[in-house]
Amino acid sequence: MKHFILISFFFFNLAGFSQIDSLNTLDEVVLYGKFSPELNTGYQVEYISDSILKKQNLSLGNFLENYRNFYFKQNGNGMVSSISLRGTGASQTGVYWNGIAINSSLNGQTDFNTIPVNGFDALEIRRGGGSTLLGSGAIGGAINLSDKITFQNKKSLFLQSNIGSFESFNGSISGVLSSQNYFAKVFLSALSSENDYPYLDTDIKNENGEIKNYSIQSVLGWKINGDNQLEFYSSFVDNDRNTSRTITAMSNAKLLNRNNRYLLAWKNFGEKYNSVLKLAYLGEKYTYSFSKDLDASSVNESESFIGKYNFTYLINSAINLSAGLEYTHAIGEGNNLTKVKQDDAEAYVLLHHKISSKFIYNLSARKGVSSAYDIPLIYAADINYRISDRIDLKANYSTNFRLPTFNDLYWEPGGNPDLEPENSRSAEIGLNFKKNDFKIDATTYLIKSKDQIQWIPLSGDIWKPQNINSTESFGMELSAEEKLEFGNHQLQLHAQYNYAISKNKENNKQLIYVPKHKANANLFYQIKKLSVKYNLQHIGSVYTTTSNSQNLDAYWLSNFGADYKFLNNDLQIGVQINNLFNENYQSVAYRPMPGRNFNININYKID
Amino acid sequence: MKKLNFTLLLTILLIITSCSDDDDLVLAKGDYENGYFISNQGPFQNGSGAITFVGDDGNVEQNIYKKVNGEDLGNIVQSMTLAGDNAYIIVNNSNNVTVANRYTMEKITIIEGDDIKLPRFMVTNGDKGYVSNWGDPLNPDDDFVAVIDLNSNTVTNKIPVGEGPEEMLIKGSNLYVNLKGGWSVNDQVVMIDLAAETVEGAITVGDAPDSIVEDVNGDIWVLCSGETWPGETAGTLYRISSSLAKITYDFQTSEHPTDLNFYDGNLYYALNGSVYKMIAGASELPSESIQGISGFFSAMKVYNGELYATDAKDYVSEGELKIYDLASGTLTETIPTGIVPGDIVFQD
Repeated sequence: MKHFILISFFFFNLAGFSQIDSLNTLDEVVLYGKFSPELNTGYQVEYISDSILKKQNLSLGNFLENYRNFYFKQNGNGMVSSISLRGTGASQTGVYWNGIAINSSLNGQTDFNTIPVNGFDALEIRRGGGSTLLGSGAIGGAINLSDKITFQNKKSLFLQSNIGSFESFNGSISGVLSSQNYFAKVFLSALSSENDYPYLDTDIKNENGEIKNYSIQSVLGWKINGDNQLEFYSSFVDNDRNTSRTITAMSNAKLLNRNNRYLLAWKNFGEKYNSVLKLAYLGEKYTYSFSKDLDASSVNESESFIGKYNFTYLINSAINLSAGLEYTHAIGEGNNLTKVKQDDAEAYVLLHHKISSKFIYNLSARKGVSSAYDIPLIYAADINYRISDRIDLKANYSTNFRLPTFNDLYWEPGGNPDLEPENSRSAEIGLNFKKNDFKIDATTYLIKSKDQIQWIPLSGDIWKPQNINSTESFGMELSAEEKLEFGNHQLQLHAQYNYAISKNKENNKQLIYVPKHKANANLFYQIKKLSVKYNLQHIGSVYTTTSNSQNLDAYWLSNFGADYKFLNNDLQIGVQINNLFNENYQSVAYRPMPGRNFNININYKID
Repeated sequence: MKKLNFTLLLTILLIITSCSDDDDLVLAKGDYENGYFISNQGPFQNGSGAITFVGDDGNVEQNIYKKVNGEDLGNIVQSMTLAGDNAYIIVNNSNNVTVANRYTMEKITIIEGDDIKLPRFMVTNGDKGYVSNWGDPLNPDDDFVAVIDLNSNTVTNKIPVGEGPEEMLIKGSNLYVNLKGGWSVNDQVVMIDLAAETVEGAITVGDAPDSIVEDVNGDIWVLCSGETWPGETAGTLYRISSSLAKITYDFQTSEHPTDLNFYDGNLYYALNGSVYKMIAGASELPSESIQGISGFFSAMKVYNGELYATDAKDYVSEGELKIYDLASGTLTETIPTGIVPGDIVFQD
């Protein structure tokens, strides 16, 4: 385990888990849970540590876009940001908070601009279908926001502040106090921005684009004895945004969303088993005002009570068996939801088998029952075969589902209580090559989804969701990474390219807002206390009409930064230039993004 | 010097002469003189509406306003009205009325500011135009009809009305305004005195008065869609005589008709994906729809014995205009439009 924690990560040196000879211990399964490389040997799983995350002042979406080559559709800078991973839709990527699914029960999505990335100790990214382990919506992939509890004597405080263009201010404090038996962490963060950047080549600026975001996170851990530990996690996020105007229309609207999350976990480790019980509460509230000066036009909220239990039994050093039970009771209420309730229960099993030092496979299956729809039986298999010391072959096949959300089922007017889950099948095969610090990963995938939920107009006024869409996504992901050191100089290069063809099977047209090409490159250079970074991105053209008659132009973006460390490396001061070449680009049609802008950041660490 | 002047004069003379020759040939007023228009709302959240021109020669030209002027019309082009040499394009979410030459589509001016707020429709009478405006859709007390001087293209008066003014009709000395309700539901038709520009009275009709037409006898017909949400009420059709006597035709509770037209002694309306025809003055609503015509249309106009109906498809791609022969109910032509076609505008 320490193997992973102790790796000292530099800025872009993100460890991909390609080794299958890592320690096969229960610890690992416990700490990484369902994102453990052991349970996902045939998948591309990445782990991004806090040493990278905590110095960021980016939202989760911007971080993943810049450094992991993900694609996001942003309604303007800081506005609603939705993901398309492997050509799938925004509700087909699972987002988790310490293993608890946090995609909205209302719209099934996560807004990636509302989550500051620096509050977490790790990001776990798993590409590909994963519903058997992770449940609804893990089709394109899954992202886990993780807090890590470590029982060691430690006191630390980390302060971060940023000042940027368009009156943007951002500050956070993270404090950890821990001993051999207790652990406590608190993270506070606040962000505000006038966000009134000019729309390049026009006379207008981003009016009504103000953003405020507060979040408080805490983590408590108690090691009761060698076999038992209790953990408590909480998270509160309040996000208050006016919604930006477009090139053609002014806006006076406002969107507030508030999330409360609590999680209690009890972990029990035996000689041959481990047992994890999680109880969670998730609350979310969306308030939309068409006119920010008047009463809210629409307020909707949901609460979920979740119980999860996982038991893993180590049959012998080569085989372990996991089984889990998950129960969710959810309530939705608001202007567009007359008090609705729903109960879902799901169970899964997983067999992990290491046949030899060269060959590992996992088999899993899941089935559920619900008060609202039929949850299908799904299954998955993945393998990792070590071809040589340097090359791993990974492959997987899975069936997956996405459950209808409260809005799909009950939105007034139009919600359709007769909806059934979306069904999806996916397969991928990939090669991972590694020689010292040089790595190349190549993966190709195919995803076929049917019964996808689409809101269609019944008449001009009333729209109703139906299980009608079928889509097929095919693509490739390439990644190359190198690290060089000579004397005091250190150089890292990481380049990625994604190719995604994702079509609606009815008309055989590419889905809107899915770029066929997305590439990025990150260059990092360090000499003594000075480091310089350069981020280059290419976002290919996206269609904005389902007939593929209109599109947004492809664009290149460059971001540049330099940092210098002082005071025994405890203080770091950096400058960042975003959109270095002042590219005029749009992520969503008629919603321009900012031109060249600047940011100064100060990080201070007290141990 | 003298010689030069003479040459100049001669040139001017020649120009004048050749001009008058051209006049004898009757100059085409512009590319968009012979045909009709379709206004397209454009994508909902972000984008621009557009105007499609369908020439009498069969040529279809998309996005003509942008082609001519090099700029977008704005977000949600709700409707378009022709008056004199001008086209008045009502751009709802961008809060403006864009004025262009109807024959060339060249921009003349944009009427905007506090006097135009979520505009819906426009009718004209002589030198004046009347634009229904929602104001803030959450505020029931700021709705109005803007009076526009068609010579100066400026707003000269704002007549406050109740919530959600929609389609209008000019009859005699009055302007009748359907108060559909905007984001909520209203049930009034207000009468405005055209000379005084004040509200003279109101007629209570059914929920959500959608469209208003006048028949050959001078009776006004108001089609109410009924409330669809949060409650549900039946659609209704009202016949209002000059003495303001009302006759009511009731639909079923789940029936929400739209797009009332009057043509050649008959009323036409859309309901549940079908089109119905009723003799203006019949004692009951028709039970059978017109055979052969089906679809949920985003706009529908009866013109010269044909039904022009637009299909917005999925609202995220180009739509279609379908032309049906009313006598036989057969589809005679399908014409591509822009995104979310919302109004069909004929030259006369």
